Amino acid sequence: MGAHTDANGETAALKKRKRTPKDEASPLNKRLRSKSKTTPRKSDIAVNSTLADSTPSRSDDKTALVLKESSGSAKAVVAASQPPRTTWKVSRPMGGRVLDIDPIFSPDERHLILTYNTSVQVYSTADSLLVRRIELPVTNSENGGYITAAVLSRSSTDHIWVASTHGRIWNIDWKTGAGAETPLAINARIVDMTLDVVELKDGKTDILLVLQALDETKAQLVAYNRSALATTTGKVLHTLEGTTGLVRSTAGARFITAATGATIHMGLLRKSFGDTFASLDYRFYSFDAPDLVACLDLQASTRITKKGREELQQVDLVLGGARGAIYLYSDVASKVGEGSGSKAGVIQPRKQHWHRKAVRSVKWSLDGNYLISGGYESVLVLWQLDTGKLSFLPHLSATIENIVISPQGSSYAIHLDDNTVMVISTEEMKPTVYISGIQTVAFEEQRSKDAMVHRVWEPASNISAPLVSAANPVNPSQMFLCVGNGLQASAVGALPSTPQVQVFDISSFQGVAKHAIARTNPTDANITSQGAPIIEPTITKLVFSHDGKWLASVDEWQPPEKDTEIFLTGTKTTEQVRQERREIYLKFWEVGADGDALEFVTRVNEAHHTNRTERIFDLASDPSSARFATIGNDGMVRFWSSKLRRRDGLVATTQDGQQLKVWACSRTISLPTPGQQELTAEPVTQPHRSGAVAFSEDGSLLFAALGERSEAVVAAIDTETGLVRETIFGMYKGEVRGIKSLGSRLIMLSDDLVVYDIVSDEVLYSFSLKESSAAKPLTQLAVNYESRSFAVAAPVPSSRQKSTKKGAKSELVVFSIDDSEPLFAQTFPHLITSLTPALSSPGFVAIDSAAQVWSITEGGDQANMLRPLADLGVEDVENETGAAALDSAMQDGEASDNEMQDGDQDMAMDVDDDDIHQAVVAPQHLAEIFNVAPAFAMPPIEDIFNQVASLFAAKPTRS
Amino acid sequence: MAAPVLPLPQLKLPTAPSPVTPEQRYWKSFKNQKSHTSTASWPISHISFPSVVGAATSNSLVAAAKANDLFAVTSGPRVDVFSIRRREPLKTIGRFDSEAHCGEIRADGRVLVAGEDSGKMQVFDVGGGTRAVILKTWHLHKQPVWVTKWSPSELTTLMSASDDKTVRLWDLPSNVPTRVFTGHSDYVRSGAFMPGGGSNMLVTGSYDETVRIWDARSPGAAVLTFKHADPIEEVLPLPSGTTLLAASGSAISVLDMVAAKPLRLITNHQKTVTALALASHGRRVVSGSLDGHVKVFETAHWNVVASSKYPSPILSLGVITAGATHDDRHLAVGMQSGVLSLRTRLAGAAADKARSRAAEQTAFDAGPSALDKLDAQRAKRKRLAVSSRAMDRLGDTVDAIIPTAPRTAGGGAYKRPKLKPWQRDFREGRYAAALDAVLDTHAPEYQSITALTLVVALRHRSALREALEGRDELTVLPVVRWASKYLADSRYVGVCVDIAFHLLDLYSEFAEGSAELASQFQSLHGKVAREVEKAQMALLTLGMTEALGSGSVE
Repeated sequence: MGAHTDANGETAALKKRKRTPKDEASPLNKRLRSKSKTTPRKSDIAVNSTLADSTPSRSDDKTALVLKESSGSAKAVVAASQPPRTTWKVSRPMGGRVLDIDPIFSPDERHLILTYNTSVQVYSTADSLLVRRIELPVTNSENGGYITAAVLSRSSTDHIWVASTHGRIWNIDWKTGAGAETPLAINARIVDMTLDVVELKDGKTDILLVLQALDETKAQLVAYNRSALATTTGKVLHTLEGTTGLVRSTAGARFITAATGATIHMGLLRKSFGDTFASLDYRFYSFDAPDLVACLDLQASTRITKKGREELQQVDLVLGGARGAIYLYSDVASKVGEGSGSKAGVIQPRKQHWHRKAVRSVKWSLDGNYLISGGYESVLVLWQLDTGKLSFLPHLSATIENIVISPQGSSYAIHLDDNTVMVISTEEMKPTVYISGIQTVAFEEQRSKDAMVHRVWEPASNISAPLVSAANPVNPSQMFLCVGNGLQASAVGALPSTPQVQVFDISSFQGVAKHAIARTNPTDANITSQGAPIIEPTITKLVFSHDGKWLASVDEWQPPEKDTEIFLTGTKTTEQVRQERREIYLKFWEVGADGDALEFVTRVNEAHHTNRTERIFDLASDPSSARFATIGNDGMVRFWSSKLRRRDGLVATTQDGQQLKVWACSRTISLPTPGQQELTAEPVTQPHRSGAVAFSEDGSLLFAALGERSEAVVAAIDTETGLVRETIFGMYKGEVRGIKSLGSRLIMLSDDLVVYDIVSDEVLYSFSLKESSAAKPLTQLAVNYESRSFAVAAPVPSSRQKSTKKGAKSELVVFSIDDSEPLFAQTFPHLITSLTPALSSPGFVAIDSAAQVWSITEGGDQANMLRPLADLGVEDVENETGAAALDSAMQDGEASDNEMQDGDQDMAMDVDDDDIHQAVVAPQHLAEIFNVAPAFAMPPIEDIFNQVASLFAAKPTRS
Repeated sequence: MAAPVLPLPQLKLPTAPSPVTPEQRYWKSFKNQKSHTSTASWPISHISFPSVVGAATSNSLVAAAKANDLFAVTSGPRVDVFSIRRREPLKTIGRFDSEAHCGEIRADGRVLVAGEDSGKMQVFDVGGGTRAVILKTWHLHKQPVWVTKWSPSELTTLMSASDDKTVRLWDLPSNVPTRVFTGHSDYVRSGAFMPGGGSNMLVTGSYDETVRIWDARSPGAAVLTFKHADPIEEVLPLPSGTTLLAASGSAISVLDMVAAKPLRLITNHQKTVTALALASHGRRVVSGSLDGHVKVFETAHWNVVASSKYPSPILSLGVITAGATHDDRHLAVGMQSGVLSLRTRLAGAAADKARSRAAEQTAFDAGPSALDKLDAQRAKRKRLAVSSRAMDRLGDTVDAIIPTAPRTAGGGAYKRPKLKPWQRDFREGRYAAALDAVLDTHAPEYQSITALTLVVALRHRSALREALEGRDELTVLPVVRWASKYLADSRYVGVCVDIAFHLLDLYSEFAEGSAELASQFQSLHGKVAREVEKAQMALLTLGMTEALGSGSVE
């Protein structure tokens, strides 16, 4: 630290502070106030217009005003729609969460169309690469709309139909992305939608069968064609009880099945199709299934009558129950008529029961001999119907959400709960396509199918903790995200169970690897015999060392309340009993050279402890050497450094002679507490504490903040000697949530946001945060050293909801270190769960509760994030060449690379002939340009061209 | 893709203050002790083993094999020649008038030299016949000869050191010493050729408390003298030739010859150190002392890496190597009581053989069915070996061999980790059965850590109560017993408390009906009471020491 120090190693400030008697009001607060009064400053902060379609409203409780100046006047920050002063901007979001909607194969199986919560994304099945991202403006969190169905058009296979709950239907050309901006609207909540093609007089046409809610208790099955949609007057086919359900049709809409609750409605075409859409006429029958229907699938065969017309021959129906059974109804169409009136006759199903919980998806194989089902057990089950034999593909990475059989029947697309979709070939059961999306704590759009039945536990519906993440300093595009075994498996306790780390590359937008860094066993049953989920540890901290060679993590686990009831004795509370059995581990990992291997080095069981294991509040890494610091509930700061592992004084080595290292506590510093200064003999209680640590930029000082009750102490510790150089009391109000150091400034986040200069010993500016208590853990602070700026992301307070449930928004404000006026402020349509500085560029990366990644950057300098291939201009080539052309955009990319290289050679030859000067270009130089990244993550083609050109245009080196 | 099923990983406990190191495990693996008591229990004064260097000079295969197979043990007026392979004495040389000293076999294993109290030095033929033939006798020393050693580089050169304070260098054919070194002022009781110095450099240690380095090429007195505080009992030059160990009283000094200064004083022994030997290709030094301890030092920082205790004061020791790589084979320790202890570490084929013999023995003890099973197992393994050999030979005639079993990425056979019965029970939710299996303290594969691993895993899975429920008197008792056994261990106390809580909750109502259960609960109670008392004492002590500490500051 740059402060002048006297022989005692104390600054003038410290002495002054020590002499200052402690009054009722903290002196700092006083000064803070006086300062903010004297400083001439505009009290309004420019807040950009909010994103997407959520219109910013100006009423007091809904505005995105997180920050309020804590000046005497306490004037609220006014959102002004003036243009931003600086060039900070937000990229378009990437990613999202795949919804519980069947993935769509293109008819030629070359593309896979996935429906995300905020977009429709087209992937190539040849190389699992994102071809196109079609953004859909459905993220209107005000009325909670979400996409509920997506189906491929049968009449024009370039189009898909997408429906959202708030009555919008898009007809999108997935090959161009056209149609996303112009939805058709019907005035009802859409429950489900399916589509079939019928041959009317005027040619083949798509008929949309929409299950839409009529009122609170009833739903209608309505058929629309394109013209009916335009006028929003469809043909009502049937009215059903219940407002949730499914609708499917088969055999060219000759047979329709709708399920609401446990009731199955079957509609049979009364006679052959009439001439017009209006003449569609169905006869409906209904019967009760033995269980609530979680999913269903139809299989039909038709025959050609003597008159040359197609006629329905047999329909088989399979239902997946919410309690795990599968019911098989063969030839339902012929049996329905046996009943009286609209009640169908008694149809006895074949019952197959293997799944423990709801059958998430069940599908007929193309030949009708097999059923394929999956669910919470993360096992793909293949039922051979003739023999009743089961075969399994067990231990997939998460709950199976959807199964789709490809048009040719040669592969299955499987959507898993951990945001991955894979295509498995039916022959080898090996994945041919693997789309691994970002895994975060996210809000589910729909209720899980398991929740159809009352369970002994309810998954958590709010986000209570931020997503723990860290960017790899060696490879800044690699984000290490702490995740669970799928979203539903992690949302089981008060804190999310996140025993795994997903290595996610934001430049290629693919999950690279997944490591278990806390206790987990994905192959073991994930529920107890009582049906309660098994809670796995939560990773609370994840920090890289400055050189990226080491990774430190903290994970916590405590037994669920139910297990500890037996241990209650005397006056102990459940919480105490649980804390006695808490497991908190500080672990150190060696990161492999390419960043996708983590080698476990050291585990510290009780890094901070009193008579029991204590929480570790914060973990920081030294920017100058491989060293970490922690602060814990015992009021201690501990430094951790590595040393050679010695055994009897001998350096222990691995088999191949490499020296083993071990991490150990190198120094322990007890922080002074306010109570200690006043020498008041307070009874030793368990105060509610909080703390944070941060190294100064040069690593010479460690700032540690420890909050106790309402008072907090900030200490500057010399990292060389371990002496406390300076102590400041009363800097914090409320819970300490973060401390960061930037130059000589200290940025502290508690109930206030305070920027303090340690050299001049003054508070430069401060803000008080307006937020609910539930939102507190989600307020985050990040510092970017490159742009000398810091960002705060906080949930927008809302009068309607106390906890951070679905629909909550976040505001992100970027400050320059020198100026109290924000550089940038914006409300995001979702909750920001993770905010990290972009290591390679002057910006920040935010991940929100819709699993989207946003990059907030200064100027045109975009963080190296993936853009879809279509944005890179590769796709056009493919479209022009058509079906006969190369299979994938990737190959196109390669081909063009080859051409370019050939061209280069020609060029070199030409130059040779000219004999002016010889451009000697070593192949490795070209390789350096072209092999920087996989084709999809390459810099713009223009840049590459410029690089190649500069290579050849370079002056020859004189020998 | 589909993840493989892995067994429950064993719990890793925090490292205790003194964990068992690999080095300790290595030295513990010297077992299978064989003891020989010398005639009339004469103390074993010297154990020698021909140095490795010269063994290759012999061109006779038989001799080479023999050279590798002999070591000499001197006790009283006898020198016994032992076989390394058989650990049995082959021949006894008893043609001494008085007590013999330092029987040393030459590197080629053909001749042996020994001194004796009368001052005589004799060279014997080792090979052929049971009767040792005296090849040469010198009687120039006037006092007992304590050291006779062959030069490691020249077959005909040897040295001697005697109580007459002289050190002599001899040539085998000649009757007079080639060089007599004088300078020691007391008995010379130890000596050796310096490695790397040909036959010219000698080191000797004497009761005048000095270690002297002699050079045959330089006239006059010793070239280097190190003075110690106690008489020197043993000297040992390290193979590097620059470092020297000298046992002086109960200490071992490490001397640097280049810098001519002591590097370190090792004071791990309580009584006079009498023997030093090299082990593990010169990377370890083994010392023996009158306190009965054998200690193993590493040679970088001279820390003790292993130690063991013998019942009697140790007078001599040797680490005898065998095989082409000269790995440590026997640890031979000669004691005051006249007992020679040979501890052997088996490696490679010998170890396999020993293991299979042990398996046979256990199967034999278990009964004929176990024996049959073992035979079937062996036959199967043999068949597999034969067929795989056949597959290997196919390589010449066919282009590609398609393995029947799937292979791993590395090309090796894919081996699925096999779950033990309790692991399978645990995985499939039969928690009580799994718990019973691991808590059985009488089972041969019982390990307390396995039990702890399972109990902790049950706690993680909220299944501890389920595993303890529904037991009868017979099955609940082992659990109570286990919990009270490990209650005192700080690493186990957490799970033991949990188990005890559950057991008391579930079964306390049955204690009246079962005397056995009641007594077990009683003993558990007693154990807890004792632990509480201990903890209170510890807290009391802590308070007192804190009071002392704060008092001293003021």
